[in-house]
Amino acid sequence: MDITHQSVPQPETALYRLAGVSKIYRKGGQEIPAVRDLDLEIRAGEWLAVQGKTGHGKTTLLQLLGGLDRPTRGRLEFGGHDLATAAEARVRKVRASSFGFIFQTFNLIPTLSAQENVEAALIPLGVHHAERRERVRAALDSVGLGDRARHVPGELSGGQQQRVAIARALVKEPRVLLADEPTGNLDEDTRDEIIGLLDTLWRERGLTMILVTHDTPIARRAQRIAVMSRGRLSIRQDTRA
Amino acid sequence: MFFLTYLRRELRRRMRQAIFIALGLAIGIGLVITVMGASSGVKAAQAKVLRALYGIGTDVTVTTQPKVRSGQPRPISGQASQGGPGPSGSGGAHAEVCINGKCYTSGTIDTLLSEDHGLFSAATAAQVARLHDVSAAAGGLLLTDNRIVLPSGSNSQLTPPTSTSVDGTDISHPKLGPLSNGTLTSGRTFTAADKNADVAVVDANYATANKLKVGSTVTVAKTKFTIIGIVSQPEASSPPEVYIPLARAQALGTDPATGKSMKGDVNTVYVTAASASDIGAVQKEIEHLLPHATVTSSSDLASQVTGSAASAAKLAGDLGKWLAVLVLIAAFAVASLLTMAAVARRVPEFGTLKALGWRSRRIVSQVLGESVTTGLIGGLAGVGLGFVGVAIIDKIAPKLSATVPSASGGSGLPTQTAGPGGVFAGPAAASHATVAVPMSASVTAGVIALAVLLALCGGLLAGSFGGWRAARLRPAAALARVA
Repeated sequence: MDITHQSVPQPETALYRLAGVSKIYRKGGQEIPAVRDLDLEIRAGEWLAVQGKTGHGKTTLLQLLGGLDRPTRGRLEFGGHDLATAAEARVRKVRASSFGFIFQTFNLIPTLSAQENVEAALIPLGVHHAERRERVRAALDSVGLGDRARHVPGELSGGQQQRVAIARALVKEPRVLLADEPTGNLDEDTRDEIIGLLDTLWRERGLTMILVTHDTPIARRAQRIAVMSRGRLSIRQDTRA
Repeated sequence: MFFLTYLRRELRRRMRQAIFIALGLAIGIGLVITVMGASSGVKAAQAKVLRALYGIGTDVTVTTQPKVRSGQPRPISGQASQGGPGPSGSGGAHAEVCINGKCYTSGTIDTLLSEDHGLFSAATAAQVARLHDVSAAAGGLLLTDNRIVLPSGSNSQLTPPTSTSVDGTDISHPKLGPLSNGTLTSGRTFTAADKNADVAVVDANYATANKLKVGSTVTVAKTKFTIIGIVSQPEASSPPEVYIPLARAQALGTDPATGKSMKGDVNTVYVTAASASDIGAVQKEIEHLLPHATVTSSSDLASQVTGSAASAAKLAGDLGKWLAVLVLIAAFAVASLLTMAAVARRVPEFGTLKALGWRSRRIVSQVLGESVTTGLIGGLAGVGLGFVGVAIIDKIAPKLSATVPSASGGSGLPTQTAGPGGVFAGPAAASHATVAVPMSASVTAGVIALAVLLALCGGLLAGSFGGWRAARLRPAAALARVA
């Protein structure tokens, strides 16, 4: 079965299923466990906030969930397929079609305009040029930046850059939005604006959203709050129906 | 489309670095083109010298050593007395010149001799022509006309002897021999009807020096020849001054070894091989047929060319080549290092693209595209620099000199004439001649193609290192660099 083109799972279906997942880094002959024996299920359409201190494995967990890295041990199923053992080409395809990433530092290509940055997300999907342009325009409109399409990141504010990054994450119509401290580099007003936008998009599009944040008020908007401590995860809040 | 947009924007962002890389490659490639242009110019000059020696169509020449005259008087000898009262009591000068045992004390002596080469039977050329790998062969006579005017009663002063190089040309083979290399500037060349006629074609420089034109006459071995044409030979050559039909040269020439006429003889055989690759075989076949003959190919002559042309060729071939290679290697190395440094700075960018699902191959091709574009810009600039370099060489290059083994065995005959003015030494039998060679460096399409290829290689090499590094990046590790 092609996991990149599955039908959207029902709300009660687990989109992610992690069992005994560990990620251990080796540095100078020393083993540094970033994630330890993690068991977790994430439903389709769920908003999960991940909190925890710096260096306790939040970003590592997000990278594992986004197929950017593989667990050292354990089983990490996405849509019924184990990303821990899948071929790199398959993981890349899943990444290209199903995951949208939002980073703390926006990670926009500095030489490309807002429009081209968003377009970059459609390149691996082989979308035709004309359709690409149409989808990019719609994505930028959805984040309120239709009029800044030709501006390069250097000509945009931090909030606008993060909006471009959100448009880039959404333009491919992913199943999961993975956001790593998306408001970490923004002032309070812009932070609220961005979180409000994400909240709206999550509700409107039925996305599964996994958001890493230090900010407890932001985390409280999520359905569940998971806390990472020394590589171990515990659920603090669960407001799911 | 996106590829090109991204490539253009990225090159614009790193414009200074791109210019620096392109400039390095341009200098390297420009130097390669300049050195190759100069080298081909020197080679062309050398080829011009060699072509001028035997004519365009001649691959091999056959000559033989002159027979040693044992127990015979020298072909030309002389003695002089001057000053004190002579037997007649006149107190004037007295000169005596002996040629082949016959002595003269007055009048004009005009002889046509071959001293530097021995003689073959004209049938030898036909024998050579029948050899397997030979396309054509023609005999010729490279001779010297020596003219000595002995003092007479009214003119007691002995004038210096004059020598004129004369080529007996086989009219039936116009594409072989020294005349084939000339360009007719006036009149006409020989036709079959001229076989036994007293007609001559003269060299343009000789004609100018002696104020000769078509219709004038020139005297060879006391025989007046009507000039029917004037030819200009390449500047680099030392051509015969007068060309006459072979049959006339045979009739008028004297074999110094026997004192007899040269009827039915030739002293040089010009040979064209069936193909360039057959020249070696032809040489061997002739050596087998004529074991005592000297068989010389143009490559033999090339190895004997000395002088500044040869030095320049060596300089361009050795020092120039290695200098260009070193500069090119340095340029490639700098381009590779700078591209790798650029990739290192763009790790987060590539990590982001990988997170978006870009294939490593696509990222590598993006890096390669950028560096190949830089390389091509450098290549084009290098071609421009190369043209400038070649133009400068053309402008400032001094005329080269080439000392070449003379095809005619020297344009002069060793003559000594004794007379009142002392002993005159005639032109020495020069086995080598020094000629001025104009050097003209040029850029060929092949060199430009090579430059573009080098630029592509430079770009690909630099991009490969950078691309390899980009391809190996793990997305998580690359993104960690952002933090």
